[in-house]
Amino acid sequence: MNDYIEYVIAAYAVFFVVLGWDFVTTRLQIRRELQKVRRSAARAAATRMPSNELSR
Amino acid sequence: MNRLLLWFHKLGSPPYFDRFAARWAPWAYVAGLIVMAWGLYGALFVVPADYQQGDSFRILYIHVPSAWMSMAVFGLMAVYAAIALVWRIKLCEILAMACAPIGAAFTVITLLTGAIWGKPMWGTWWDWDPRLTTELILLFLYLGVIGLYNAIDDRRAAARAAGFLAIVGVVLLPVIRYSVVWWNSLHQGQTIRLMGESTMDASMVQPLIWMIVGTKLWFIGALLMRARADNLRRESGKAWVAQLATAADGRTP
Repeated sequence: MNDYIEYVIAAYAVFFVVLGWDFVTTRLQIRRELQKVRRSAARAAATRMPSNELSR
Repeated sequence: MNRLLLWFHKLGSPPYFDRFAARWAPWAYVAGLIVMAWGLYGALFVVPADYQQGDSFRILYIHVPSAWMSMAVFGLMAVYAAIALVWRIKLCEILAMACAPIGAAFTVITLLTGAIWGKPMWGTWWDWDPRLTTELILLFLYLGVIGLYNAIDDRRAAARAAGFLAIVGVVLLPVIRYSVVWWNSLHQGQTIRLMGESTMDASMVQPLIWMIVGTKLWFIGALLMRARADNLRRESGKAWVAQLATAADGRTP
């Protein structure tokens, strides 16, 4: 296999890079959504904590 | 109630869909990778070089399945969008909108691999040929659907507006399909036929079939994952998502 090999390599690289990008961005999106929920849960928990001022 | 109907009914529940997608998407990805690996092995190492095009014809094994996917995904997106518009099924809105970036990715692959093949065979990266131009319009339609969906804050209103664009855009699919018949096109005519005899040698067709099946399996995985991400985004205020986020803390979801 040596005719136009550089074109074949470039085309297959495009195929794998685009599919890889699709895979990675989706996983990152899911991770980001779950992190967002965890952060807002942590904030809500922090506001529910009794303050020291009131317990004195 | 019929068991299949009951399953469809359950699938409409966001937590149930999340569990379903999280469970089956990795399997679809793995199956897609295995089938594509087998197809690529055939395409790159088994099939002989074309007597006219040399090895550049091997680009066809990724170009053709991607081109088919670019159109099939748009059709599927329109079907989901139509169901979502008529019956107001939230899951169908999510699935329709999840189709758009995946279809756009396959369209980008089609256009770029076509350009890379075109340079040595046609002597140019691009030509305003009917097939190429209509495929480029398809990419713009995908980008329009994605842009419209992200431009409106209300997720349901956004999905309805973008879904409507997807339904209208379906009119482009037969134009792409028959562009090589209706106009004097530089792009070659239909080589592979599902019904009837292909003009491609049988020994060259088999890896192509594996690649077509592989890209479809990959698409199922990608669709489930993207739909899962959007489902989590829409349901982020719900208790089940908070439970899931806490359970997944420190682990990759």
